[in-house]
Amino acid sequence: MKHRPYIILFFLGFANIFYGQQNIKVSEIPPELISNANAVLRNEEISIEILAFDKMNIHVKRTVTILNKYGETHAGTYQYFDNDRKIKNQQAIIYNAEGKEIKKIKQKDFKERSAVASGTLYSDDRVQYLDYTAQSYPYTIVYESEVITGTTVFIRPWQPVSGYYLSVQNSEYNFKNPANIPVRLEETNLEESVQKNSSAVEFTYSLTNIPAYIREYLSPGLEKFVPQVRVALNEFSLVGVKGKAANWLDFGKWQYDYLLAGKNKLPENTLNKITRLLQGATTDIEKAQLIYQYVQDNTRYVSVQLGIGGWAPMLPEDVDRLGYGDCKALTNYTKALLDSQNIISYYAVVFAGEKRKDLDSQFATMQGNHVILNIPQKEEDVWLECTSQTTPFNYLGDFTDNRNVLLIKPDGGEIVKTKAYSFTENLKETYTKIVLDEAGDFIANMNRRTGGIPYGNMYHLTRETKDNQVLYYKNNWGHLHNLDFQTISFDNNRNEQNLTEQVSFKGERLTSKAGNRLLLPVNFFFTPTLDAPRIPNRVLPFEIERGQSFKDTFEFFLPKGYSAESIPEAEKIETEFGMYTVLIKSGEKEGVKTIIVTREYILYEGVWEAGKYLDFRDFMKKIDSLNNQKAILIAST
Amino acid sequence: MQKLYITGILSLFFIFSYGQDFKFGKVSKEEVLEKFHPIEKDANAAILFREVSTYFEYYPSTGFTLITNVHERVKIYNKDGFDWATKEINYYKGANSTETITGLKGVTYNLVGGKLTEDKLKKDGIFQEEVTKYQLKTKITMPAVNEGSVIEYQYSLRSPFVTTIDDILLQYTIPINTLEVRVSIPEFLGFSRHFNPRSRLMFNVQESQKSFSLTSSSMERKGFSVTEHSIATSKVEYQQNTYSLSKTAIPSLKVESHIDYLSNYAAFIKWELQYTKFPNSIMENLTETWEGVSKSIFNDGGYERELSRSNYFKKDLDNLLEGETVPLIKAQKIYAFAKSKVKWNGYLGYEAESGGSKVYKDGEGNIGDINLMLTAMLRYAGLKASPVLLSTVNNGIPIFPTRKGFNYVIACIELNGKKVLLDATEENASFGELPKRARNWNGRIILDKETSDWVSLMPSEQSKNSYSLNIEIEDENNLKGKSLNILTGLFAKSYRDNYKNINADNYIEILEKNKGNIEISNIETEGQLLIGSDIKESYTFEIKSGVEKINDKLYIKPLLYLSEIENPFKADERSYPVIFDFPSRDSRVVNIIIPEGFEVESLPENSIFQLMGESGVFKFLTSQNGKYLRVESVLELKNLVYTPEDYDNLKQFYAYIVDKHAETIVLKKS
Repeated sequence: MKHRPYIILFFLGFANIFYGQQNIKVSEIPPELISNANAVLRNEEISIEILAFDKMNIHVKRTVTILNKYGETHAGTYQYFDNDRKIKNQQAIIYNAEGKEIKKIKQKDFKERSAVASGTLYSDDRVQYLDYTAQSYPYTIVYESEVITGTTVFIRPWQPVSGYYLSVQNSEYNFKNPANIPVRLEETNLEESVQKNSSAVEFTYSLTNIPAYIREYLSPGLEKFVPQVRVALNEFSLVGVKGKAANWLDFGKWQYDYLLAGKNKLPENTLNKITRLLQGATTDIEKAQLIYQYVQDNTRYVSVQLGIGGWAPMLPEDVDRLGYGDCKALTNYTKALLDSQNIISYYAVVFAGEKRKDLDSQFATMQGNHVILNIPQKEEDVWLECTSQTTPFNYLGDFTDNRNVLLIKPDGGEIVKTKAYSFTENLKETYTKIVLDEAGDFIANMNRRTGGIPYGNMYHLTRETKDNQVLYYKNNWGHLHNLDFQTISFDNNRNEQNLTEQVSFKGERLTSKAGNRLLLPVNFFFTPTLDAPRIPNRVLPFEIERGQSFKDTFEFFLPKGYSAESIPEAEKIETEFGMYTVLIKSGEKEGVKTIIVTREYILYEGVWEAGKYLDFRDFMKKIDSLNNQKAILIAST
Repeated sequence: MQKLYITGILSLFFIFSYGQDFKFGKVSKEEVLEKFHPIEKDANAAILFREVSTYFEYYPSTGFTLITNVHERVKIYNKDGFDWATKEINYYKGANSTETITGLKGVTYNLVGGKLTEDKLKKDGIFQEEVTKYQLKTKITMPAVNEGSVIEYQYSLRSPFVTTIDDILLQYTIPINTLEVRVSIPEFLGFSRHFNPRSRLMFNVQESQKSFSLTSSSMERKGFSVTEHSIATSKVEYQQNTYSLSKTAIPSLKVESHIDYLSNYAAFIKWELQYTKFPNSIMENLTETWEGVSKSIFNDGGYERELSRSNYFKKDLDNLLEGETVPLIKAQKIYAFAKSKVKWNGYLGYEAESGGSKVYKDGEGNIGDINLMLTAMLRYAGLKASPVLLSTVNNGIPIFPTRKGFNYVIACIELNGKKVLLDATEENASFGELPKRARNWNGRIILDKETSDWVSLMPSEQSKNSYSLNIEIEDENNLKGKSLNILTGLFAKSYRDNYKNINADNYIEILEKNKGNIEISNIETEGQLLIGSDIKESYTFEIKSGVEKINDKLYIKPLLYLSEIENPFKADERSYPVIFDFPSRDSRVVNIIIPEGFEVESLPENSIFQLMGESGVFKFLTSQNGKYLRVESVLELKNLVYTPEDYDNLKQFYAYIVDKHAETIVLKKS
């Protein structure tokens, strides 16, 4: 095992870190940690001490060598704080490549600013950070901070590999629990090289020499493959609210009791309105639909996160009066309205985002970043996104689909999965009629229907200005020249959750002349393949998170006096990643010669080993080259 | 930020009356009922009324206060307009005194069952954020906002920084129906006002004067805080100048691609303090002309001191320049030395924040620190060096004399009668090159304490990007070839900005992007680390399915992946100018060997296309020499600025390039 002098020093106390550090030289870094790295975590010591169920001390010391400007993001020389979380100390020393100290930064030299996240109107988070300008690369920062907090429901996990292009030379995580509060641990992706040490009131993890990962196209999230240890207390505090839980059932129960229970009172006036609104509605689903529409019409999303308000919803009567709230507030408001009609619904905590992330079903802690509403049904549950004024009833889209969420029920928590959208649902289907003239210009009429996940990313187009709609099509169809739009109309079917676009437009030079022949590209719209880069030495698996299908028909009406001399052959490609077919036929309609192209392309969802990537890329490239298929038209004599 | 305090003797009272229709609270049913904006049907929201009035008040205990009252009435048409129900007010806090917001109130109006309802903004909708030690922010979000709501709010911003009147916005990204602005300034402060020359909106300003004859108890004060005073009753006569403008139907500011900063094109008024003339004091002239501005910056910015100090770098510079007599070499050495010695900390400013000697020691400084230090070094070496004040792209262009118009300084030296501009804060800029942020119109060169002049910041030298590809066709389908790319000037700088020190695997990925089914290997790059030299990059490549074979004929787009496939200008109309970065020559030459058994059936025609006379030119030439085909595409841009009227020409020019690049070579079996 490598000699690690830091550990001994660590126990000698805070002041001793700044001794002349021989091994801080950049030349001491093993070469395998330099390649692919923008920064190297030379040494990390995280020490967490639980002083009481509501008092935790976090001491962090990180030595990071920044190899180039891209490595600056790994310096980590900042600390968030708020009323509940205080910075006791913070300092840093900068060393040059030879290990010579060049600058010392004391607590008072750290800058401070508010840390209101984008999309949030107000929160009490603040940050102190080191504002340092690199003199040259590489250089090394030794950063140390000590924080004390009354919130123990979140415990800083151990995840030494915190990003791509970051190598780890040494990292150690020490957890002290002198009060002997029952603790749960979850180890993920720990390899044999990780050292463990534990006693009744203390444990330590450490590892050495992990080379940097390169970010590879379509790779799963970092947390899926790097080592991580998470810790949770069975007795904890959240901004002054005490809790006790060892599993999701209890944890959900605690959240219900302390953050939600009793928060469903509504003003009489609103209840009367709802009663009137629901007249004539018979089923619970009909009623829920009307209530959801009412919420969408009378509220908007405004995020304010203050103290416990960052974790508990504001009162429904306040939402009712103000007409706004954050995800917690709007979800709970909708729930309160449903409660008033005796329709059962559950507040559901989720990790939202296009990149799917599950709540860990095995490890009950405070998780998630968003809240949606669940209405349990015999068949398939209904899910409501209460922060959007435009999303259809029971539509999740790629923000919250197909992932574990925590239902907070009066009798406890339960982990369930949200709706998954299959490739057959995620369908874009077009039918386009294209009338060609001899000069190569065309008039086209497109009808396109979009459903499933892509629907959620498309229907906003209907709310754009006409100018922006035109620009949208021009940007998407950049391969077509000098487009001129006649009509653009939409049918946004919120019940069926699909969008139909009807677009007619003119363009120039679709065909090109070659002697007395015309070359016609038969793929009027290209197949939307993924631009998969060549990754010769791929390490990580790759993942298609959501399947999709595309069905296209192009009906070309040939210029007068022209007929098809040759048309491309039918093609069919079937792989484990998806399939592609194209069929081209010539014919005649109302006295005009035609070419009809029918094309189908399906991409399956799945995770594949790195070794399969070449085949996948090959599949994409084959389709790309078929995008150039041409028919030859000849003037009939 | 320059904030001054002044002293004086007086008491003033102002009364403001609002237009009757727009009195706070007098919202009509019609306004709430309106379904869409009468002129801009697509608008998500509109400002029905905006009033800004600025005036001065005197308080015996604290001196002057500058007060700005803002009243806005906003119509929300639909859900996409909800953002307008939230407002942020930014203001400033100094070391000893701070700006404050007072009298903040707001109401949301809705129609419920045919009746107008009012929901008041309460404390729970008002948030105070201390962004930094100096920046404060008040945020409000209005209650009960629905589609159709009208919201109204007003507040006063009280500022002790009486010599700084904030810019007043006259245009938003939504239409403004009625705008009223009034600024009243007592005669002892002289402000000049300036509209944005990049906005095409015209405003008429009404000026009026009113005499004040007030008997009041006055107080003699010294310094900002009252240190000694004597109370006396006196009669003081003043003139008060009031500037007012009102305008209706102000169109929204359009969002377009290919522009620098949208706010550079919005209508606004800026106010610049020109002089102070207090009773019993001498008139102090601050700014009025460009000479005045330059002079005041020179004096207040400590330029004399910064430019004449040399003790801190003397020894190092003497070593560096030992035996060197050629001015150009001296200048180049100093430029490289300054860059290596001090790095930019990211802060702008034409003043040296820490001072040359400190940043020389610390190794980091702001723009003023570094470039004034550079100027001092150049002067020390006996070169004719001067600071040049300028405005960065996001700060607009300095078209009227104002200190606020500048936020940056660089150095200029004269070598053989030619001016060379230098900015030591940009690592990858070579001698005489400026970073993009500083390439903004004209700068003001300060030759000495008394003399200043304009100097163009726009690059005049042509930067070149030349590709040449040699390709062979294999198996009538795949392509194999070698690429050589030579970059000069700002093309080379941009390459360094983007790719210097990048991970090699990532770089191949970037290089292969959008080039079809390509495999690139043997990348060799020369000169990328030597700033100022040309960059040569070569590689070999193979492209699968790069050639189309249809009925025994081969069709090739000769420029392969170097073809321009999309016109960058897609919108039908344009309201702002298009500004290119620098004069450029972009050439792409492809040499193709005709495969065995084939001959040329057709080649794209040669052509030359001029853009608006000499502004630009595009050439596309093909030639055949035995079994060799040569295709050359050259695009030269000389003129950098194109007005909205030029837009059509520009769009057509690019459409033509795209068309020519799409033409194919056809080979047939011989």
